[in-house]
Amino acid sequence: MSGADRSAGAVLAAGDPVAAMKAMRAARRRRYGRRRDVMEVLYRVYLGALAALFALGFLAGALHEVPADPSSVDGIRAHAPAIIGLAVAALVLAGLRSGARGGPLAIEAAEVRYTLLAPVSRRVALRPAALAQLRVATISGALFGAIVGNFVFRRFPGTAVEWIGALAAFGALVPIAVLGAALFASGRRLRPRVAGPIGLVLVAWSSLDLALGWNSSPATLLGDLATLPLQHGASAWLAALGAALALALLATGLAGIGGLGLEAARRRAELVAEMRFSASVQDLRTVVLLRRQLASEHPRRKPWLRLGGGRASASPIWRRDWQSFLRWPAVRVARVVAIAVAAGAIAVAGFSQTPVLFALPGPLLFIAALDLIEPLAQESDHPTLRLLLPRPSASLLGAHLVAPAVGAGIVLAIATVIAALVGGDPGLALGVGATSIVPGALVLVCAAAVSATNDPYEFMLMPPELTQAINFAPIGAASLGIFLPLFAAWKAEGGDGARIGAALGTAVIPLLLGLAGIGVLNWRANKREREAM
Amino acid sequence: MSEAKPSGAIAATSASAAAPLSAHGLGRSYDGYIALTSFTVEVAAGELVALIGPNGAGKTTFLNLAAGLLEPTSGRIEIDGDVPGSIEARRALSYLPDTPVFYEDLSVAEHLEYVAALHGVKEPAARIDELIGRLGLDGWEDALGAELSKGMKQKTSIALALVRPFKVLLADEPLDGLDPPSREVLFQLLAETQAAGAAIVVSTHRPDVIAAADRCVAIRDGRLAYDGRPDPDVLTEIFDPSELEGA
Repeated sequence: MSGADRSAGAVLAAGDPVAAMKAMRAARRRRYGRRRDVMEVLYRVYLGALAALFALGFLAGALHEVPADPSSVDGIRAHAPAIIGLAVAALVLAGLRSGARGGPLAIEAAEVRYTLLAPVSRRVALRPAALAQLRVATISGALFGAIVGNFVFRRFPGTAVEWIGALAAFGALVPIAVLGAALFASGRRLRPRVAGPIGLVLVAWSSLDLALGWNSSPATLLGDLATLPLQHGASAWLAALGAALALALLATGLAGIGGLGLEAARRRAELVAEMRFSASVQDLRTVVLLRRQLASEHPRRKPWLRLGGGRASASPIWRRDWQSFLRWPAVRVARVVAIAVAAGAIAVAGFSQTPVLFALPGPLLFIAALDLIEPLAQESDHPTLRLLLPRPSASLLGAHLVAPAVGAGIVLAIATVIAALVGGDPGLALGVGATSIVPGALVLVCAAAVSATNDPYEFMLMPPELTQAINFAPIGAASLGIFLPLFAAWKAEGGDGARIGAALGTAVIPLLLGLAGIGVLNWRANKREREAM
Repeated sequence: MSEAKPSGAIAATSASAAAPLSAHGLGRSYDGYIALTSFTVEVAAGELVALIGPNGAGKTTFLNLAAGLLEPTSGRIEIDGDVPGSIEARRALSYLPDTPVFYEDLSVAEHLEYVAALHGVKEPAARIDELIGRLGLDGWEDALGAELSKGMKQKTSIALALVRPFKVLLADEPLDGLDPPSREVLFQLLAETQAAGAAIVVSTHRPDVIAAADRCVAIRDGRLAYDGRPDPDVLTEIFDPSELEGA
């Protein structure tokens, strides 16, 4: 059989290595298109439509059509660019950190082995993947920005065209800035200890803008663009400068893309492939572990604090769990604190703007709870070790809930303090927070524990909708458990006392959800123990 | 090893006076763990070097550094006078890794065509047919990577390393997973490659590869432990025999 008989011949007919690379990629795309299952595509469209419908409903509720009062408009004009800029700076920091570890591209292992080791310009080889990622991100960002603009113009001064245009441009430029930063860091092979501080300088600069009312950081300039219909004169030029800087960052990143280090690219290729597979089977625990590896988020060799009391402890599980927390890397501590701060601030915004925002703190705090539940998750990951202990698995896992619950209580306390500091009614914030800490901590930790011990293959034979419902139930329970007291306090009429009482009245629901979670954990542990014997 | 026959398909031409592969004071560490340190070696054109050492000694780290898949933390390494990873070095070096990796949607033949085309081989069909025939891949040309056994994957990986021109061949445990007839074929292919003027480094635990080599370079704990003739007496002084057999 001759070589020409074996394939379409596109590669053999290619005149040079670059043409061969392009021909093979085109052939693979065609083959991928032919192999696609129509029903699977339709199912994805159906899921996408459901998600879009949910997002639209959320936006419509969050940005209701009542025009904002003049003082709100003035406040947003003055402070929103810096607040938005701070968020953009945090995303650019994340982009730089990802780039320092070989991101944002996730290249196939075979592509690293054959194409990037061939005498072909790596810039030429990598550019299509970077542009494809950029295309998806900018189109999605612009679309999302335009949809938000369609709601925003009904509340604030400015025409529909102005708001939709400004927010679509902002939505497109944010991924451009973030991907540009990541490409810059990966192409220049910046080490994490260099890329991180560069990003932190931008965050600090944007924080100064927010604190001092300045308009100077490149990220704040993009914030000007997001609120352009409210800005006048110089701010429009500053917004244009922000857009130009984001584009310049992308151009610099794309120009240096060929400098990508293969060591980081290979590592990332392997981890991302595993992560995609885990996500496709909704294995959240594995996704969490792989994401930590991808971010090189390792426990500290030296704990922040050494626990006293010697090696013999009356409560070894409590001690083991705190030893785990005290070895958290700084980035994990910062993430959990940032989640607590965001949850408190969003709760305040929910009271002042719209209760739809109360749907956000639950999923955010669930992410923090997944970090807190790590010691229990490790027991679940190593069933042989667990089954060799002279203690029933259910009792062991139950004991592992105590320290994380205390940790979750601390996180909720931070959120409460933030709400008291930034909101206009500290008494209400502290009261609602105090009544929600115990039930909130219980439901968060139990939901995270159920999720972390979930076996995604256990329900594989069920209809996919049912499997998804089982896999996502813990997130739903955590969201509901945090949403209910906030919503009840907002809905109640009367003074702070009445509102705090209403929040307390709903505490039974998260408590019941938490107890249901403990029940699921016990049932699951006993079942697996029986099966192992 | 069988008698070597130079192969016209492997264009390991224009061997320069300088060694095609040279490393001086090479080192690589990972978060404080030293995988390779102060490693100096040169491999001449037409020379077959057996790289030996116990597991974790630093053999694969050295090969990855030479291939440009890792960056050294100290020292330097050159492939035909160029830095690993440069276009010239990529043109000069072929790497046969210990773990075969394939595109999941390309067949064996398509892999061979693609790699040959990436390296500018104008008429690859004859060479592809020759490698498929000699390595016993007949009938497997249209198979995808996932359909191949461990041995077939290794044979495909060998074919991919040899289908293109090169001056330096690095092979990491190339006999792993091969049956005795396939091992014999690989020995023949290596001999032909060597006769065509390529510098070859084969990482191995196997005594038959060591015996076939012109020179033996041993690594222990990331350091050069021996560089000389593949003398069994000397090697058994350095290594436990079980380490050489991969037991």
